[in-house]
Amino acid sequence: MTDSLTSRRSLMRYGAYGAAAAALGGVAANWDRLTGADIPGRDDGSLVVATLGPAYGPAAVRTLTEGFRKLHPDIKLRINAVQAVDWSDFFAKILTQIAAGTAPDLVYVATEGVQLFARRLGVALDHWVKRDAEELREYFADVHPSLVESMMYEGSLYQLPVEFNAADMYLNKEVLKRAGAAFPAPDWTRDDFTALLRDMKKSSGSRFTPYFWTNRLWGGVVPWLFANDTNLLAESKAPGGAWLWDSFYPPAARRGRGGGYRWTTPRATDARVEEAYDYLASLIQEGLCTRPEGGNGQNLVGVFSTGRVGVTPAGGFWAGGLHLAGMKAPDYDVQYFPRWRTQRMQFGAAGYALLRTSKRQEEAWEFIKYAARRDTLSRLFTTNQTTPARRSMLDAARYRETGPRHWQVFYDTLDKFPDTGPIPAPPQVAEVEQVLLKHTGTALASRRAVAPALRRMQGDLEKAMERDV
Amino acid sequence: MTTNTRQAPARRPRPAAPPAAAPRPAARDRGTRLLATLFLAPTIVGIVVFTVVPIIGSVVLSLFHWNVIDDPSFAGAANYREVFSDSTVLVSFRNTLVFMVLAVALQLLIALALALAVNGRMPLWLRSVFRSAFFFPLVLSAASISVVMKYLFNQDFGVVNWLLGLVGVAPVPWLTSENGAMAAVILVYVWQQFGFSFLLFVGGLNNIPKEIHEAASLDGATGLRKHLSVTLPLLSPTLLVASVVGIINALQVFEQPYVLTNGGPGDSTRTVVMVIYETAFEQLRFGPASAVGVLLFVLIMAVTALQFRLSRRFVHYQ
Amino acid sequence: MSQATTSRATSRAATSRTTDRATTGRAGNRAAPKPIRARHSLAPWARIAGLAVCALLTLGPVIWTVSTSLRTPAESFDLPPKIIPTHPTTESYRGVFDQIDVWLVALNSTLVTALIAVGQMITAGLAGYAFARLEFRFKKPLFGLVLATMMVPLQVTIVPVFLVLKSMGLTDTLLGLIIPAFPTAFGTFLMRQYFLGMPKDLGEAAMLDGCGPWRIFRSVYAPLAAPGLAIVGVLAFNYHWNEFFRPLILETSGQNYTLPLGLVSLQGNLGTGSISVVLAGVVLSMIPAVAVFVVGQRPLREGITSAGVNR
Repeated sequence: MTDSLTSRRSLMRYGAYGAAAAALGGVAANWDRLTGADIPGRDDGSLVVATLGPAYGPAAVRTLTEGFRKLHPDIKLRINAVQAVDWSDFFAKILTQIAAGTAPDLVYVATEGVQLFARRLGVALDHWVKRDAEELREYFADVHPSLVESMMYEGSLYQLPVEFNAADMYLNKEVLKRAGAAFPAPDWTRDDFTALLRDMKKSSGSRFTPYFWTNRLWGGVVPWLFANDTNLLAESKAPGGAWLWDSFYPPAARRGRGGGYRWTTPRATDARVEEAYDYLASLIQEGLCTRPEGGNGQNLVGVFSTGRVGVTPAGGFWAGGLHLAGMKAPDYDVQYFPRWRTQRMQFGAAGYALLRTSKRQEEAWEFIKYAARRDTLSRLFTTNQTTPARRSMLDAARYRETGPRHWQVFYDTLDKFPDTGPIPAPPQVAEVEQVLLKHTGTALASRRAVAPALRRMQGDLEKAMERDV
Repeated sequence: MTTNTRQAPARRPRPAAPPAAAPRPAARDRGTRLLATLFLAPTIVGIVVFTVVPIIGSVVLSLFHWNVIDDPSFAGAANYREVFSDSTVLVSFRNTLVFMVLAVALQLLIALALALAVNGRMPLWLRSVFRSAFFFPLVLSAASISVVMKYLFNQDFGVVNWLLGLVGVAPVPWLTSENGAMAAVILVYVWQQFGFSFLLFVGGLNNIPKEIHEAASLDGATGLRKHLSVTLPLLSPTLLVASVVGIINALQVFEQPYVLTNGGPGDSTRTVVMVIYETAFEQLRFGPASAVGVLLFVLIMAVTALQFRLSRRFVHYQ
Repeated sequence: MSQATTSRATSRAATSRTTDRATTGRAGNRAAPKPIRARHSLAPWARIAGLAVCALLTLGPVIWTVSTSLRTPAESFDLPPKIIPTHPTTESYRGVFDQIDVWLVALNSTLVTALIAVGQMITAGLAGYAFARLEFRFKKPLFGLVLATMMVPLQVTIVPVFLVLKSMGLTDTLLGLIIPAFPTAFGTFLMRQYFLGMPKDLGEAAMLDGCGPWRIFRSVYAPLAAPGLAIVGVLAFNYHWNEFFRPLILETSGQNYTLPLGLVSLQGNLGTGSISVVLAGVVLSMIPAVAVFVVGQRPLREGITSAGVNR
């Protein structure tokens, strides 16, 4: 008894010594990993670019880095693909870095954050754009002015857009066939849309919902507000911007352009807003439309590709997503968002914002130009994970493998509907978005719930907009 | 860190000899004190640096306006006033308390029932299989499993409603109605957490001497009555630990509602910790976020203190 | 050399003198009285069937996750769910390896989790012993302080913690995740319970033999603590392997991401990721946790159990 205990104990002791040795060895061998000293470009004066991780895989980061090195061998570059679930997560992380004094030089920013960054953190690109106007002429000629205008704030340009996504309607062709319905015309109306949903519902089983949407700022309720010729916040344009329009765009494209959007007074109680919510509530009541779910729309690919859903709004980014999920070009197609009072549509765009705190602003500007080049974007957007901001990149070859057949819709949303505009994203965007999502959830509980919920939304939006961000 | 550890003994107050102990050589007492100081130093220094100082930091922050970008400016009680008049904050406290009561009650009930059932007569291997199964969800990540649960609880395409459909229940709007969403969050949380209480109860039952039960059986107590009159009082210390830990954890629930419902529909599943996260990291209002954090901390302390006070009356030590 | 011999001799003497008591006193749970054989009104088979249903419900979501990760995305929403995939495919797993640097994030997670586990075993072992077996001033308030840290939500202190780490130059390093996690309230509590469960006479006997407080710890109690420490280690592994919030806020460089953070990118831009790939990532991240669960199941069970008894 005592002997076996002793031997067990000595075994344990040797075990403990072994574990301690292994731990020490592990620490020693991985010291650089533990302190981050092995990260190339850390604290060595590299230009640091923060991108949204899920959109930029390791391959994309490599492509971007290598291409830049070839062009500017003298500038050290480090791309930091930040993991975040959505844009607000991403901004939270960037701000923590700023608080820590380890801010990147450039940040990839979507419409959601353009004004927040412009107002508080960003540097206007105006004097560089003017300086390198000749070099940039080709870029602006290839990019729709609506996208450029969405990157302006109070007369100055803060980013060169490299990608965008408008909310168009994706339709499952299989479901269309089942319903015996024709593919909708480009100028289809809201009533055509409703009729189509009813046909789909009639011809399908119980585990089918014709219209699926995700409750978020981009592509949720906002497209319906735009179609009904209204907006969540009163929309106007800042003066200025002529310096850009006059030097890069022909007179026809200049008309009505200004110095960027201003989103000010909340108008959640506007009659047309209420009308749009009431319409969605009636669709839900009829079983034609999913209820607004919280969070992201992750199960969407699965339910759409298997025909459990017939129609859903999405942008060019979805062509790649559906292809990955095994959908072939003939299985689905894309049409514009239906007309209501107007056929104005909404989009979100993204580009690189230069931070005020950056000590490498000249180098950063070189990267901004590099990132907007056609060859750079072509190498980056190979899988149709987004819509390139350059019109010339959208061609039949690009969409041959993934579909959809009507790929022209993606850019024509801008070309054919020049009043199409960005989602409302003032500097107070985080709170605005949260208020919108929250009250949309309650507003669509029933048709009776719409008006009171919108009144509460109005109150909360007013409070949010009063805050100086 | 190492330097901190070394400095610590000098900073800490010198512990005195225990009173009225049997006379011991003074050298030994000094040795004990030195040993205690050395042994406690890593934990106490760590807690001071990474918990106490940050809490003080939070309290200070709650008195300032701060958005990370600009320098902080003094706000006095403004943040607290704002927080108390913010309906979202108030609702989140109500939600958290409702969640706590229901989740902890359900968790303890399920765990206790299963612990009693597993303790009954059955082959040893089977008992071990059951114990492992009930414990298993604890090893998974709450965030990942909530992603999975979001699929399972989907109203139209989810497995849960399909299963309910098999027994004739109409589709439940789990994540899209206020009560359904709260129910889903509670179920997912309890599913992951009950294994912890379950094991506590299994251990507690093991420690009840067999003789007591035999005596009770001789007195004619059987089945449920025996459990109510004999087992439960003997299990009360375990019950206290299980409920204290359960409540502390439940009041800090974050991942499940964040992933499953994002606080919705409306504010119906928005919890206090979610509000702290959103206010601080999404809206960059660190002042009010800290104020809510301080209030939550006070609430947790108060609830725990209340429990220990109540426990004096109900907990029965052998 | 001679010291080692004496210490071994002392401990052997101490053990042999108390073997009879050790069976009843040591770590209550181990030598626990036989479990109750309650005479339930329920028939045993009904009870076992009920338990089986509960076990199935408990494991159901996990089974679904594994089987869905082996199916094509198109089949992921099939109802009834096909538990055995008709066309099993490991495509999703390849997708995980394509989209994230699995080896790097796994190395980071392993380093962080292992070092935290070792660190917590040391801090909890030492502090737990001090609270259980040493007498000193402010013992109660200090123990209260330790326990109170359990009540502090991470989200409340993360910004000040961030600033503390910044002053130490540890932001965006793995050490910045590891060091703040060394003190553990629950682990300390657990080890205190564990040491309290050991018979007091062991130490008293050693003291009569002239052992100082260090020697008593080193030769008498510490050797008995291994199972308790294993529990602390397993619990730490379990918690920190799955930890999401602290790495999310504290680690900014992609090279410093831990596994749960890496998995986020599988969800895709605007949620366009394939559910099968997401679930394959979840399954991959589960494997080490499950392995530790299988190995550490017994100490884990005993540890949690002992926390509930004898105060």
